[in-house]
Amino acid sequence: MNIRRLIPLAGTLVLAVLLAGHMTGAAGQSAAAGTDTAIAGEGCTSILVGKNASTDGSVMTTHTCDCGTCDWTWRHVPAADHKPGSTRKIYHISQYKTWPPSEGLKWDLYKKDLAGLEIPEVAHTYAYHHGMFGYMNEKQVSIGESTIGCQRKMQNPTPAAKLDLSMLTLLGIERAATAREAVQIMGSLAEKYGYGFHDDGEMLAVADANEAWIFEICPVGPLWTPESGKPGAVWAAQRVPDDEVSVCPNESRIGEIDLDNKDFFMASPNVVSLAVDMGYYDPKGGKPFSFKRAYSPVEGSAVSTNGRSQRLWRFFDIVAPSRKLKPETPNMDLPFSVKPDKKISVQDVMNMTRDRSYGTPFDPVQGIRGGPFKNPNYYRGTRVIDHGLAEYSTVTQSRAGLPDPIGGIVWIAFGSQDTSCYMPLYAGMTEIPKSFMVGDHWTFSRDSVRWAFDYTDFHVQVAYSEAIKDVQAAQVKYETDLIARIPEIDQQALALYKKKPAKAAELLTGFAINNATTVTNAWWKLGDDLLVKYNRLYMYNAEKRGFSRGQPATPDWWKKAARAFDILMEPEKK
Amino acid sequence: MNKRILPGLAAGAVLALSFLIAGQTLPKVGLPILTTSAGQSTDVTTLNIVLEDAGIAYDYCDIPTAEMVADGVGLGGRESGPGFHVESTTDQAKYPAGTPYKAVVFAIGASMKGMGASGLTLDSEETRLKKVIELCKQKKIFVMAVHIGGESKRGPAGSDNERMIDAVAPFADALVVTKDSNKDGRFTKIAEAKKIPLTEVEYALGLVDIVKQIFQ
Repeated sequence: MNIRRLIPLAGTLVLAVLLAGHMTGAAGQSAAAGTDTAIAGEGCTSILVGKNASTDGSVMTTHTCDCGTCDWTWRHVPAADHKPGSTRKIYHISQYKTWPPSEGLKWDLYKKDLAGLEIPEVAHTYAYHHGMFGYMNEKQVSIGESTIGCQRKMQNPTPAAKLDLSMLTLLGIERAATAREAVQIMGSLAEKYGYGFHDDGEMLAVADANEAWIFEICPVGPLWTPESGKPGAVWAAQRVPDDEVSVCPNESRIGEIDLDNKDFFMASPNVVSLAVDMGYYDPKGGKPFSFKRAYSPVEGSAVSTNGRSQRLWRFFDIVAPSRKLKPETPNMDLPFSVKPDKKISVQDVMNMTRDRSYGTPFDPVQGIRGGPFKNPNYYRGTRVIDHGLAEYSTVTQSRAGLPDPIGGIVWIAFGSQDTSCYMPLYAGMTEIPKSFMVGDHWTFSRDSVRWAFDYTDFHVQVAYSEAIKDVQAAQVKYETDLIARIPEIDQQALALYKKKPAKAAELLTGFAINNATTVTNAWWKLGDDLLVKYNRLYMYNAEKRGFSRGQPATPDWWKKAARAFDILMEPEKK
Repeated sequence: MNKRILPGLAAGAVLALSFLIAGQTLPKVGLPILTTSAGQSTDVTTLNIVLEDAGIAYDYCDIPTAEMVADGVGLGGRESGPGFHVESTTDQAKYPAGTPYKAVVFAIGASMKGMGASGLTLDSEETRLKKVIELCKQKKIFVMAVHIGGESKRGPAGSDNERMIDAVAPFADALVVTKDSNKDGRFTKIAEAKKIPLTEVEYALGLVDIVKQIFQ
C-alpha cells in the first residue's frame, strides 16, 4: 500500500475509529439497569409553553409518543351525564399492549381488563379526544406525557395498585375543567386507589388556557395496601411561569417545592415523609428536599452520556441560546424552566418536536454517521427529540379569549415528526376522522392514517437529504399554510357559536375531518411520487419524463470514507 | 381509638387474609436462597423487596442457567452485564461463595418486554426454566413459586403467562399466590393434583409473613 495514498484517508480512518469507539460508549450507557433507579431513557419528550411565552397567548404542551411498537389509534369520547349512585369502571391499560386487528381495536378490547374496582362516578363528564392518554377536553384541559422512572423499590406492579397512567389521564381529562383540577383529581385518585401496575415514575404536562403544570407521580412500592391508610402514590406538581417554557425528556424536573406558594406548587401529603421513610432524604442532612433527587435521580449530562441525555440541554439551547447553558452541566442542575429569547409560535413548537440536534456536538449526521444522504436514522447513539420512534406526536393549544370548544386544539402528526404533518382536532369536535381510529404496526392498511405517513417516511429513507426537501415542501403547503388559516376558521366558528354552539361544533368537525382527509391523501401521493422520483437511486423527472443517472449525487467524502473503510478492513499482509 | 395503632391493625387484617389450603402446613426451609424470574416480569423485583422487608438475605439472578444455580452462593462470581443481572445480599461470612442453595424462589410472570431485554423468547425461557428445575430436583433444592401479578397478568391457556405457570408451578414444593391470581382456581387445581402446599394472600404484603415462616 502506497503510504502517500493513505495520508488523505487518515482523517477519515481516525473518524471511523473514533466513531466506533463513540458508539461503544453510547451503548454502554444503556446498560444502566440493575441500579437502584429504574431509568426511563428512550421514552417521550414533552414541552410546555406558558401563555406569555407564546406569540398568540396560547398555552401549549407536546407529547412525542415514542414507542415504536405501540398502538397509535385515537378516539373521541362524548360528554355524559350520570345518575347519582352510578359508578365508573377502572381498567388496567398498558401503554405497550396491542392486539391484532383481527381481534379488534385497543380502545374496545382494553375494557376486558377490569382492575377490579369501580369508583363513584361524577355527575357530568366532559367530552375529550384521547390516544395513548387523554389529550384535550372540551374545557381546553390538555395533557402531554413523558416517563421519568423512579427508585426501584418504589415500583408497584402488583394488583393493589389499581390505576395505571393512561387510566389516570382519562379520569383527569373527563372530570377536570382546569389544569389545577386535573392535577388534584389525578393525584387524589392515585393516592386513594394506588398507582402503578403497568407504570412507574411518570410526568404529565397539564395545561388549560391560563396555566401549564408539570405533574410528576410515582408508586410507593409493592407492599402498599389500601388498608394501610397511607397514600398509594406520591406526587408533586409545579407550574411553569407564564412567560417561560419547560420540557421533560424522560427526567424528573421538579426539584425543591414550596407548598406555601399555592399558585406554583401542589403535592401529595406524603411527598417528604415517604422519602424519609424509604431512606431517600435525610432532613438532618442540611439540604432542602428535592422531589427529583429523592424519587427519580438521574446522574449525568448531555456530554457525559455521549448525547443519550442531551434533549434537556438541547431544548434550552434552542429556546434560550442567550443563556449559554453548557452541555457539560449535570442535567439535574439545569433550570426547571427558562424565559425564551423570543416568543414561541405553534409552528416553532412543531419544529422543536422535529429537532435532530443538527449542528450541535450531538449531530447524528456528522462525519459518516448518516451515510451518503445524511440520514439521521442510521445513527441512534444520540437520543434526539425526533428519534423516529413516535406513534404520533401532539401539540396542544389552549387559547383564552375564545370559547373552550374553539380555543382548544390538539395538533397530531402520525409517525416520525420529520416526515409527517400536523393536523388539528378542535376541542369542540364531536367526532374524529375514521382513519385515526384504526391500524397497527404489523398489518399494512390504506384505511389507517398512520400508514400514509409511514409510506412516505419509508421512501424518504433511501435518499434522505434529497427526499426530505420534498416532504418539507409538502409540510409548508399542508401545515404552515393551515396554521395561517386557523384564525379565519376560529372566526367562522365563533360567529356560529354565538348563535348556536352545536353549529360551531359541526363546522369544526367538518373542517378538521376534511383537512385530515386532504392531508392523508396528499401523503399517500407523496409516497408514490418519492418512489418514482428516487427509484433505483436515480432521479426521475415525471414532468419531463427523463431521469439523471448522476443524481442524487453520492458525495466525494462518502466515496473516500468507503475507501477508508476498505483499508481498515483489509487483512494484514504478512 | 389511637390513630397510631390503626395501620398496625390494618396490616394485621391483611395478613389474616392469607390462608393455607386446608390440611397443609408451610414447609420450613433454610438459607441460602436464590430468587429469579419465570418470564422476566417485574414481579421478581416485588419478590426481592418482600424478602428485604422480611429481613431475609438472598442472591438474585434474572436468567440463571442450571450451571449457575449449581455454582451456589455468588453464582460462581458472575457479574451483571447487558441483559443479565446478578445481585447478592447473602451473608457470605455465614454462607461462603459456592454454598449450595437450599431454595430457589421463582416469581412467575411473563413480560415480552422483559424477555426481549434479556434476549429470550418464550421457548428459550421455558427451556431454561426446565433445566433449572431439573437441577433443583436432582440436588434436592426446594422450589418455591409465587404469582403475585394478579388476574390482569393471567391469560388464556397457552398464552405467555400461562406457559410460564406450566413451566414452574407443577414442579414447585410450595406455591404462594395472590387471591386474584387464582380467581379461576388454576393454582388450586395444580396444587391438588400435585399435592403442593398452596397459600393465598390478598396482597404482596402478605407474602412477607409467609417467607419469614418458610425461610427460618
